[in-house]
Amino acid sequence: MAGPEVKHMTRDELLALVRERLGEKIVRWTEKSARRVYVEVRPEDVPEISRFVFRELEARFSIATGADTPAAIEVLYHWAFDQCGLFFTVRTKLNRDKPVIESIAPICKGAEWIEREMWELLGITFLNHPDMRHLLLADDWPAGKYPLRRDYVKNG
Amino acid sequence: MSFAVNMLTRSLNVFHLGGSACNNCDIEIIDTLTPCYDLERFGITLVGSVRHADVLLITGIFNKKSAIRLKRVYQQAAKPVLVIAIGACACTGNMFQKSYNWDVPVDKYIPVDAYLPGCPPKPEAMIMAVVKLVKKLRGTK
Amino acid sequence: MDLGYLILQMLFFPGLLFTAVAGLVTSWVDRKVTARVQMRVGPPFLQPFYDVLKLMIKETCFPAGASRGFFLSAPLFGMAGVALASMLIWRAFLMPGQTFSGDIIVILYLLTIPAVSVILGSFASQNPLASLGGSREIKLLLAYELPFVLAILVPVIHTHSIRLFDLLAAAPAVCKPSGIIALVVAILCMQAKLTVVPFDAPEAETELTGGAYLEYSGPPLGIFKLTRAMMLFTMPIFLVAVFCGGIAFDKGWQAVLLGALKYLGLVVVVVLIRNTAPRVRIDQAVKFFWGPVTLAALVAVTAAFLGW
Repeated sequence: MAGPEVKHMTRDELLALVRERLGEKIVRWTEKSARRVYVEVRPEDVPEISRFVFRELEARFSIATGADTPAAIEVLYHWAFDQCGLFFTVRTKLNRDKPVIESIAPICKGAEWIEREMWELLGITFLNHPDMRHLLLADDWPAGKYPLRRDYVKNG
Repeated sequence: MSFAVNMLTRSLNVFHLGGSACNNCDIEIIDTLTPCYDLERFGITLVGSVRHADVLLITGIFNKKSAIRLKRVYQQAAKPVLVIAIGACACTGNMFQKSYNWDVPVDKYIPVDAYLPGCPPKPEAMIMAVVKLVKKLRGTK
Repeated sequence: MDLGYLILQMLFFPGLLFTAVAGLVTSWVDRKVTARVQMRVGPPFLQPFYDVLKLMIKETCFPAGASRGFFLSAPLFGMAGVALASMLIWRAFLMPGQTFSGDIIVILYLLTIPAVSVILGSFASQNPLASLGGSREIKLLLAYELPFVLAILVPVIHTHSIRLFDLLAAAPAVCKPSGIIALVVAILCMQAKLTVVPFDAPEAETELTGGAYLEYSGPPLGIFKLTRAMMLFTMPIFLVAVFCGGIAFDKGWQAVLLGALKYLGLVVVVVLIRNTAPRVRIDQAVKFFWGPVTLAALVAVTAAFLGW
């Protein structure tokens, strides 16, 4: 498995390792450019993949993205492999009526705050998050109103 | 014209307080305070501490959280203090009126003495605002 | 010595009122020269007066938890110290028969009181930024007092007297090389004593947002600003008296004019250094004063002992 030699792997070796490890969990693999690779997975596989990428491949957690698209509510976790300049994104689609996903904050502490922000602005529920409370919005923000949702109406 | 108003309008210490601004108004405020426009001829100087301030220059929009801090800073200023809302964002909310991040205009939280629309207003407009405010205080035209 | 007459002197001339007015005029000179150096017009003549008078009409805010006694009285200590020092110096110019031996030492002590009052006020403010400013002021005080006293020692050695009047009556200290070195050292120490750039770390404007004066507002702040202006007047006069022969009031108007020009020259030197130098960090300032400046002062003292 990957050990200290991960730091010296090239881009292709890393991607081959990821592909081999994920196997059938990959729903779609997109290589937008040499440095930008997206892999779409199912929501329940995200914690395991994150643990693999963070703990074993020793990637750096860059940021996460939440988006309310016409298809679904998407969550993307962006990991950086600084040794070869590769940005690797794990992307998953959630059901708009009940967007629930397991939090990766217990695995990677750096994801704590961005998951708080995704919850308060998009209404994505993160299970087992250690410290779920408002980050940017006021503490007395009305519950159930998520500003960055497409159907959000101010004072509605 | 009372002694207090006379002295206050001859020596104005300016303090800049920005909310969630794009910083263009802040840059224009700094431009106005450069030697090019030489506001020190009118007795206007920039101060770093809000307790030394006579004029609060408010820029940017304020949401529920930053509005509490805005009020607190206003209370910390030594009275009498004047407030100028600089830029369209501070006056009315500009294009952010429909945004979730904008709560109410600045003058619902603190009393505002002069409004300076513009996005951003030119330094000449800022000087004009101060001159008009001074004239209004002194009761002259 | 009539006590009432003495009190009148302390309050009006040449004590508090005279020093305050002269200090504010000097402050205007400072701001005008600064403006001209920056190629702009600058404030009107009465601007420093307006600034102080405006502060008198403002509210005094007490920070929560601040100790009221020290907070309010610290500015008064400073003003009293510099007013008294100024009075002693002008007595040596105008009423030499009524001065006493050792008044240089008293003046030196009195001139440290404004710095101590700033320290007191900053720690009474209960604000972390203010106490940072106060701690920097303490460090600066420790740094520049040593070479300053050494520099003042040089004319004392020349004339074998610690009475200011004798220093005025004898040949000015700058006639000898040791006097020139001592004057340069004293000018650098004066720059720090007045907390102007490059040694204004305690009052770092944009870094500490007001530094030691952060929590002050209204009349106490006005008194602090007045004290700074009075120091700007008193320090160059003191240096002119000790090193350059002072202002002789009994030799006709040409001597008075010459003395005034010497004083203005020192003020302009302070202002020009202020406008052309960046602010140094507090550790750089301490190393500077305890290193090269003290060395130069020691060289000057040794040279003075040897008669140069």
